[in-house]
Amino acid sequence: MKFIEKTNLTSLLAQLDAQYRLLVPVDYHGLTQFAPYSQVDSGVSQLYLDGNVTVSPKTVYLPQSEAMYKFSAQGKKLAIEEMPPLDRMQVLFGVRHCDTKAIQCLDKVFLDDTFADPQYKDKRDKTIVFSLACNNPKATCFCESMGIDRAHAEQSVADVQVYDLGERYGFEAVSDKGQACLNALNGMTDGEAKLPEQKPQSISFDAQGLPEKLKEMFDHPIWDEYAFKCLNCGTCSYICPTCHCFDINNKMRGTTGLKLRTWDSCMFGEYTQMAGGHQPRPGKKERVRNRFLHKLQYFNEKHNMSLCVGCGRCIAKCPVNMDITKFIRQVIAE
Amino acid sequence: MKASANDVKRLNNLIPKVGVVREILDETPDVKTFRISTPEGEKPFTPMPGQLGMYSMPAVGEAMFSVTSQGPDYIDMAIKKTGVLTEALHAMEVGQEVGIRGPYGNGFPIEKLKGRDITFVAGGIGLAPVRSLILYCLEHRADFGKINIIYGGRSKDDLCFKKDLFENWANLEDANVYVTIDRPQEGWDGHVGMVPDYLREISPNPEVAVVCGPPIMIKFALVALRELGFKDEDIITTLELRMKCGIGKCGRCNIGSNYVCLDGPVFTQAQLNEMPNEY
Repeated sequence: MKFIEKTNLTSLLAQLDAQYRLLVPVDYHGLTQFAPYSQVDSGVSQLYLDGNVTVSPKTVYLPQSEAMYKFSAQGKKLAIEEMPPLDRMQVLFGVRHCDTKAIQCLDKVFLDDTFADPQYKDKRDKTIVFSLACNNPKATCFCESMGIDRAHAEQSVADVQVYDLGERYGFEAVSDKGQACLNALNGMTDGEAKLPEQKPQSISFDAQGLPEKLKEMFDHPIWDEYAFKCLNCGTCSYICPTCHCFDINNKMRGTTGLKLRTWDSCMFGEYTQMAGGHQPRPGKKERVRNRFLHKLQYFNEKHNMSLCVGCGRCIAKCPVNMDITKFIRQVIAE
Repeated sequence: MKASANDVKRLNNLIPKVGVVREILDETPDVKTFRISTPEGEKPFTPMPGQLGMYSMPAVGEAMFSVTSQGPDYIDMAIKKTGVLTEALHAMEVGQEVGIRGPYGNGFPIEKLKGRDITFVAGGIGLAPVRSLILYCLEHRADFGKINIIYGGRSKDDLCFKKDLFENWANLEDANVYVTIDRPQEGWDGHVGMVPDYLREISPNPEVAVVCGPPIMIKFALVALRELGFKDEDIITTLELRMKCGIGKCGRCNIGSNYVCLDGPVFTQAQLNEMPNEY
């Protein structure tokens, strides 16, 4: 393991920033999210390493709004121009283990064998992930119950594993890319360290057999109970690290335009509304049911893993206190 | 059907190619068929029967349509005017360039159909996806058993592909075409009545049925087909739901864990029985 004193972290980040496009977790006027390191450097935002960020790192791979191509449409003529790839490698520093698992979920969707998404792949290939283990979970954290390894980040996503060791940070390379990146950094010491103790999570349950159970519950009255208070506001899907549904729309200026991929949400009626009036999920009940089942059953059936990683963001941010863990426990108890 | 030289694997499946509208054919007052090829005069892509294409006017929008037929250097899509994009498509003139990408979806299970009697049951614009399979079967006639085509429209003006129904297919010795309209109409001396009732009357050999049309027609045709002895695994239908990407990523066209754009649009009734009733 390599170490750096916490007091020297800034010098380490400055080195990374000089070599890469560095993205770090920041607190910008009370909202925590990943941002370019220049924001910290210039004092616009403060580095935030005390807990997980509210806006998940999916923004790095699947931005809230992303240009897919440019076009010009004049008279009968149409021209289409692809967007350029990232021009340099980037480092994503301080991704929590739940969120590395979430990126693995996104990989299942966007890096599939038949239709890999080149814009997503470009960013995945050009990003070095430093994953930071959590010692002090928040009251809403339940990653352990969703099968996340709190000591080790998802190996297919993390390049460097980081531990908070009190007075210093410990770094261990997980991939070759991570090793090369670490080797190039100055001011680190080598040695051995005992892994930090991780406080237990207050929410804990056994989710074994959940997908199978839900398969039999499509017409269960539980959906009315949960749908009744849902506002269909979409907050849960926007802050969820695995929700990846997108809309494709355009922004025109004169005869030229941009085709954009923007976040969408299964909470909205327009999401499934068809021209001519057909609406397969007409109300709140169908939409809430679809979101929970996609997280906890459908994704499992397709990819053999859960689409909920237990980050707890939706519990913390839902304006009407919907709690997916309460739902899970209720289903298990059925 | 061999892939042509321009079917190179696209780098980004979400980015359309430019296609040119070569011909526009009026089918009914609200359905037009658009013939598309690339600016170089080539076929944009080579779909199998039942596969889909994403058609766009980038400044307006993009939507998924079934490819109703194809030739060596074009594909045809029959499009009903129902919304903002289709209004704009209907306003196009020959020579208009549009975005086009595909093919998407599974298409009809050709192998499963070989050697068997096929009954096609379609209503309205539902003949558009089914027609791609009918044309395939006629082109490879020896591979299939008896062919019955049962088609209905609200009125005689609403019947699509009239040239096929009343000339090309009507004169074939090895295919039976049955056309009906919902209500009697002046100048119509053909059958009058609903498709499911006509289906009972014709009573085709219950081997394989391929069904597409408005949901209400499908619902009652299904009842009739079961009465006639068709098994659910031999009743094949093609669905449509709202789609944005066409490759199982944008999320919205799911029925349970299946994406209609990827795992469909063609499903057997037996498969649908296992899926949530949410389509």
